[in-house]
Amino acid sequence: MPREFQRGHKARISDLTTGTDLYVGVQISAPGLTFDISCFGLDADERLSDDRYFIFFNQPKSPEESIQLLGAQAGDTESFRVTLDRIPPQIQKLSFTATIDGAGQMSQIGPGYLRIVAGGEEVARYSFNGSEFTTERAVMLGDLYLKDVWRFAAVGQGFDGGLEALLKNFGGEVLEEETPAAPQQPQPQQQPQSGAAPGFAPPAFAAPSAPVPAPAPAPAPQRFAPPQGATPPPAPAPSLHAQPTIVAPMTPPGGTQVPPPPAPPAAPYGAPQPPHGPHPGQATAPPPPGYAQPQAPQAPAPPPGYGQQPTAPPGYGQQPTAPPGYGQQPTAPPGYGQQPPYGQVPGQQPAPAAPYGAPQGMPQGAASQGPGVAAALQQFRETPTGQRWTQQNKKLVRVDLGIGGQPVLARQGSMVLYQGKVDFSYKGAGFAGRIVGNATGQEMQLMRCSGQGQVFLAENSTMLHPIELQGDGICVSAENVLAFDETLQYEVRRIEGHGIPGGALFTMQFTGVGTIVVKTHGTPVVLPVTPTTFADCNAVVAWSSAAQVVVSSQVRMRRNAYPGDTGESVNLQFRGAPGNFIVVQPYEV
Amino acid sequence: MNQPFAGHAPAPAAARMENHGNHMLKVAMQSGHDLLARVGSMVAYEGFIQYEPNPPAVRQIARDWITGEGAPLMKCSGDGLLYLADYGANVVVINLNGDGISVNATNLLAFDAHLQWGVERVKGLAKFAGQGLWNTKISGQGWVALTSRGKPIVVDCGGGEDETYVDPDALVAWSPNLKVKGKRSFKAQSLIGRGSGEAYQMAFSGQGIVVVQPSEDSTDRLRIRG
Repeated sequence: MPREFQRGHKARISDLTTGTDLYVGVQISAPGLTFDISCFGLDADERLSDDRYFIFFNQPKSPEESIQLLGAQAGDTESFRVTLDRIPPQIQKLSFTATIDGAGQMSQIGPGYLRIVAGGEEVARYSFNGSEFTTERAVMLGDLYLKDVWRFAAVGQGFDGGLEALLKNFGGEVLEEETPAAPQQPQPQQQPQSGAAPGFAPPAFAAPSAPVPAPAPAPAPQRFAPPQGATPPPAPAPSLHAQPTIVAPMTPPGGTQVPPPPAPPAAPYGAPQPPHGPHPGQATAPPPPGYAQPQAPQAPAPPPGYGQQPTAPPGYGQQPTAPPGYGQQPTAPPGYGQQPPYGQVPGQQPAPAAPYGAPQGMPQGAASQGPGVAAALQQFRETPTGQRWTQQNKKLVRVDLGIGGQPVLARQGSMVLYQGKVDFSYKGAGFAGRIVGNATGQEMQLMRCSGQGQVFLAENSTMLHPIELQGDGICVSAENVLAFDETLQYEVRRIEGHGIPGGALFTMQFTGVGTIVVKTHGTPVVLPVTPTTFADCNAVVAWSSAAQVVVSSQVRMRRNAYPGDTGESVNLQFRGAPGNFIVVQPYEV
Repeated sequence: MNQPFAGHAPAPAAARMENHGNHMLKVAMQSGHDLLARVGSMVAYEGFIQYEPNPPAVRQIARDWITGEGAPLMKCSGDGLLYLADYGANVVVINLNGDGISVNATNLLAFDAHLQWGVERVKGLAKFAGQGLWNTKISGQGWVALTSRGKPIVVDCGGGEDETYVDPDALVAWSPNLKVKGKRSFKAQSLIGRGSGEAYQMAFSGQGIVVVQPSEDSTDRLRIRG
């Protein structure tokens, strides 16, 4: 019975298995995508200081063979054999990563997992799927790391920048040295270097002849090369170690009693950050993204908690001084960033406030955006285009009156904002409009927007659909017209029938060249007109009057449904030549 | 059974305020770090969070909030995760970081209690009938969450002579350094604005942004419920 891990969970390997010879399998797949799964052997500073410990399809084993790449087997996309007690002491962490080869993003992946098998038995499994990711192109799936003892952490943290960002994360500025250093690597495969490797990729990655079964044999030279346009700034993924450990059950589901951790091992919880804090010797290096986020100076004073850790964590002594990142977290009150395991270790957290604990030390650096009003609202900026009609988002259109110079008729009250010299004047609905008004009791009131400037139109959060007419015609239910160019000819048509609210359904038929904005409540459906196309007259929004403007979209009432019988007393039937369509909204006025 | 809901679990909190989807706000609460939120906006919480409607301090500041019924704010304190929503409105999260923003009262969802804030009547618009335009000016180091009926749009005022005119019903927020004035349209039949017969817009000029929602429904749903 494998223990299920979720993102952020951690456990000691000794709690999972007594063995040290582990099989690590990764299953990850997405339609049309191939993945490169690799293992980074990192030193105590989380850096890939020795690239012989970058285990991937082109370098299938570490020098002393403590980490070996086994290839796809037993349902796993890629698998590794890790012999923990043979890993040299300078390697403190093995990070298992998956990178998309080519275009794509992690949100496309199907259900996958990273599992650890020991002694023929699966002991740990971290399942993930695409919904946990967005635009990442590289993901750190899980870590085996040494902190007194070997431990496993399910990470699930991604980088938008793909392998490049991943390397940057592990290498910092080492990357520059690494690139020239790579040819000295004791690997024979890189001689047939074709020179086709794109600039950034360290040459060793691009060796064309892969001696091992690569996860997916693709044309080699670009296998690991990040796209040229890939942006180096990786996804500002939330810090792994700010993630909740509180939900991580320290008791295996099987019910095995976990020995209560003795006092010193409390450190892993108390100080999850140390290995991630910027190392003093690394001060000039850009801090690895996601880690050690700069803390906004929000808290007025640092609470006393930090720096008062009663016992230095054992793994801590390897760092000459406390990592600077540690003291920079003034906002977390005592016990807060300590991520108590939620009652799993009673007595360790005496303060009653701590046990619940917000799962993280309240990181202040916005994960997805920079601070400040402008940055927060950046995604909502207006889209400048040189067009007359621009859909700003699903519910807002902008019309630039200066382009084309024609006035626009819009439903009254639909203006939400305008810039420039725009004149709004009452537009009598004219004869046709009065018919509508008289008959329905609700005159369609229009205003004419003229002048120079931009007008933003929206109404009641309905979805807007600008439709450009090029001489063809469309009939729109009068209710659903938001705005249109004055150049369009329109006429009001009346469809009478029993049971229609107001006695008749009014539609406006537009012809000519110009744009009309139709509003719908909710996402509409567009149906082709077939001999048997019916629609509720309350829900129908528009239909094409394509070729035969008058005749083709003739509607007639279908009266074989009894009022009160189904509640669907009046339906419209549409007839027309193939190619015509009707638009129906999920909302009955 | 859980299948249809898979993927809707909250992501681990990475910041003080985050969106959960487009329409829900997730706040990582911690004691000593209180939050002011609209009364009635809480939809769920985990942990130990206490709510104090209308705390005295708030009452003092917001004494004359729109109707005088008292401030529709509550103070939330404690530890845990707090989820807020306003009848399906889009939620916009802003890390102020020293900036300031003026928010229409009905579009304010929550903000950190330690921010500087005050309720003020929009200058130059005091006389508009029916709708007192009250806004809350917030500044400081902290987080603010706004609501918007539909995805909002942010427009730069440009700073030139050109003014930007906004339907007050659709206005969400603006930069506090903008100059605001009312614009009435006395043309007999110029009916802009929602059915009031009174055509008015707010004119903004200066350097800054205006946030507008694609809806002119400024009804305060949280207040209607009481």
